[in-house]
Amino acid sequence: MIFIAIIIGCVAGVILGINAPTISYTYSSFLAIGILAALDSVFGGISSILNKNFDLKIFISGFFCNAILSMLLTYLGQKLNVDIYLAAIFVFVSRMFLNLTIIRKYYIEKWSENIKKRKENKQQNTQTN
Amino acid sequence: MNKKIESIILGIMCLILTYGISVQIKTVNSINSNLSTNAIENDLRDQILKTKEKYDNIFSSMEKEQEMIEKEREKATNNNQELEDYEKQIKEKSKMLGLTEITGPGVIVTLKDSTNANSSLDISSQLVHDFDVLSVVNELKNAGAEAISINDNRIVSTTSILCSGNVIEVNNQKVGTPFEIKAIGLPEQLAALSRPGGYLSKLEQYGIETELEKNNNITIPKYAGALNFKYAQTIK
Repeated sequence: MIFIAIIIGCVAGVILGINAPTISYTYSSFLAIGILAALDSVFGGISSILNKNFDLKIFISGFFCNAILSMLLTYLGQKLNVDIYLAAIFVFVSRMFLNLTIIRKYYIEKWSENIKKRKENKQQNTQTN
Repeated sequence: MNKKIESIILGIMCLILTYGISVQIKTVNSINSNLSTNAIENDLRDQILKTKEKYDNIFSSMEKEQEMIEKEREKATNNNQELEDYEKQIKEKSKMLGLTEITGPGVIVTLKDSTNANSSLDISSQLVHDFDVLSVVNELKNAGAEAISINDNRIVSTTSILCSGNVIEVNNQKVGTPFEIKAIGLPEQLAALSRPGGYLSKLEQYGIETELEKNNNITIPKYAGALNFKYAQTIK
């Protein structure tokens, strides 16, 4: 159910996006930062699912608040002539890497456990035989 | 029930994310340059694009209006001998003013910046300047050219040829090298431009690449603007 919804959402988004008019060049940097923030919260959500402390409310609020906050920071940076968006990119990308590490570790551990179990099963089998 | 809401919300979020990504990719591709967050530069680029679009729109609507005027005029003068004569006069005069596209025999002069980088000559003298173009146009007029255009910008009575940084301005339109100057007139007379000691041979001495080609079928576009006389008044 969830997977179907996700796939439908992705496909519909791509189709709508291809047919949508291009935005003004001035705002494309804001959109880029917003996309990074959203991607960061997606990876955060996946890792929290694996850690079994996933909360939909926290996920949704993080998704939108991070995007909006980073856009506001970028705007403030443009007004103050400081490249604040660099700090936002740094934070988001480093967090993405951290979450990717958690996801990777989880699956590698699962995989190695599976291999161990198989070996034990084989040994048991040979002993009983 | 709870799972249904969850999946709908997740689907909407995916929609927003992929929508944003695809719009962004499209925007960046359409601008075809590196993404920079320099606000002033982007604003200026935006303004230029917007102004250009406005200009194009207004220009195309103007052309439409002119076509309409011509049609109306033809309709009105259809069955009247006197009016048809006037119509002919209008056509003849607008041809002289440069308001119609014309064709005929003439020459095409091409001026190109020097590509010889090793030359010991001054770099500035290896470029085509506004006064070079102006002198060539002047000589063509002296040789009896009836219509002249520079890179498809028609020379009319109000035309100015100015230096504008590394390009020149003709009719307030920026024109860059190579300059293709078309002139309609007697080709043999116009071709005297390349005589020894003439302006073209002088330019060639400085390393500028020039080319003069006689052609029996040259088309020169009409003046892309409006001739407005605010202050000049006819004496009765």
